[in-house]
Amino acid sequence: MLPEILISNFWLLLQGAERTLELSLATAFFSSATGLAAALLRTFGRWPFRIAVDVYVYVVRGVPLLLLLFFMYYGLPYSGIDVAPIPGGILVMSIYFGAFMSEVFRAAVEALPRAQWDAARSLGMRLPLILGIVVLPQAVRLSAPAFINTCILLIKSTSLVSIIGLSELTMVGRQIVERTFAPFQILLGVALIYFVICYSLSRLGRYAEQRMRHAH
Amino acid sequence: MRTDDATVAPMVEFRGVSKWFGTTQVLRDISLSVAPSEVVVVIGPSGSGKTTLLRCVSLLEEYEAGEITVAGEMIGYRIAANGERVRRSEREIAAARAKIGFVFQSFNLFPHMTVLRNVAVGPIRVNKMPREKAEAVARDLIGRVGLADKVDAHPVSLSGGQQQRVAIARALAMQPKLMLFDEVTSALDPELVDEVLGVMQQLARDGMTMIVVTHEMQFAHDVADRVIFMDHGAIVEEGDPATLLANPRSERLRAFMRRHIQGWARNLPQNPMTIERNP
Repeated sequence: MLPEILISNFWLLLQGAERTLELSLATAFFSSATGLAAALLRTFGRWPFRIAVDVYVYVVRGVPLLLLLFFMYYGLPYSGIDVAPIPGGILVMSIYFGAFMSEVFRAAVEALPRAQWDAARSLGMRLPLILGIVVLPQAVRLSAPAFINTCILLIKSTSLVSIIGLSELTMVGRQIVERTFAPFQILLGVALIYFVICYSLSRLGRYAEQRMRHAH
Repeated sequence: MRTDDATVAPMVEFRGVSKWFGTTQVLRDISLSVAPSEVVVVIGPSGSGKTTLLRCVSLLEEYEAGEITVAGEMIGYRIAANGERVRRSEREIAAARAKIGFVFQSFNLFPHMTVLRNVAVGPIRVNKMPREKAEAVARDLIGRVGLADKVDAHPVSLSGGQQQRVAIARALAMQPKLMLFDEVTSALDPELVDEVLGVMQQLARDGMTMIVVTHEMQFAHDVADRVIFMDHGAIVEEGDPATLLANPRSERLRAFMRRHIQGWARNLPQNPMTIERNP
């Protein structure tokens, strides 16, 4: 009895998973861009930028993602701003994970030995060039494990946007459960799909790390 | 190697240079002039300020008082019309650094670049030299330091001595007017020291102006035109190597020499140990 309900609904679940992947990819992209910009401003910017980034990181990290989603979904319409669920969800999650990504990149940039800076400076390089060809290429490698870790958290957190009515994997699963009264089978299937996505990403990350290590 | 013409303008000049780390003074009123093609070796106990002195020339460290000029141009600062010291723009500072070669104790090669890229990247990205020309220059330099077969290797696959030779080639690729060497053999296994010193000796023969911070007394004796002994941030003694190393005048240099006596001293005409016993 277990496989049949799962098998007959598997296609639906995969469609939910597709939406989950879309949300994850978009959020990973925008939160990385936000995080990188924030990390660079925090490390090399003038003091107003550094303070602004600190405020952003501490405030956003200190508030549950669910609350931020509620704020966007229920709060903003009150002030006359209507955001569609998909771009809204991506926006809120990008802001949220951007704060975590900024710490991932900041740690990597700061972990690079000062000696690399000395060497680049002694060749007459200036900040943008040093960042572009010496610091960031190495920081990407250093940040890989923490970056993958954050991406995995991010993928799983997309299940929260089901609350604001986006039919991603978790939402689709719940809808099927309501229709079939087979919570155990369906939710197990949902969990399995999340696991496969996250595990693949972990392996991919490990593989990329090893490739990068061999290249050096 | 030194041009003995007294009228020739110095390549490097320190005038009353002082530096503090917090409240600790690490350079005390340093004045020193280095002529073009001269090789000056700086010796002294650790913490004596030799590395800091070198780093100030490339403005890898700021200095608070005095001035350092390289080829007549003040490093890091200029004197404004009202007599105040004004920090130069980052562009000017970078341009000055590009003409000063710096070789570090721990090599500091870029680990994500091949040997060829390490050497060519400065000329390409800073001097805007066309890639093909820069790579030709880089290949030539890598060949001259004896690593022609390693152009495509990454630094991690090289020995310390090989990495340091690449670092020298990288600095030379910028066609510097002056080369600074900061304890470049201190991180090397003893059997790898000579290959690096050999490259430096050749460079000195070719007429490069060099300031070399080192503990290699034999190198100081054989290659230096002048030896500077520093202690507690000040120049305690200076002179030509044969005289200074064989006949230290100050007690501090004698104490320093006692600790660095092995090996090289046997080759000196007079053994400082005997001087020590019969002052």
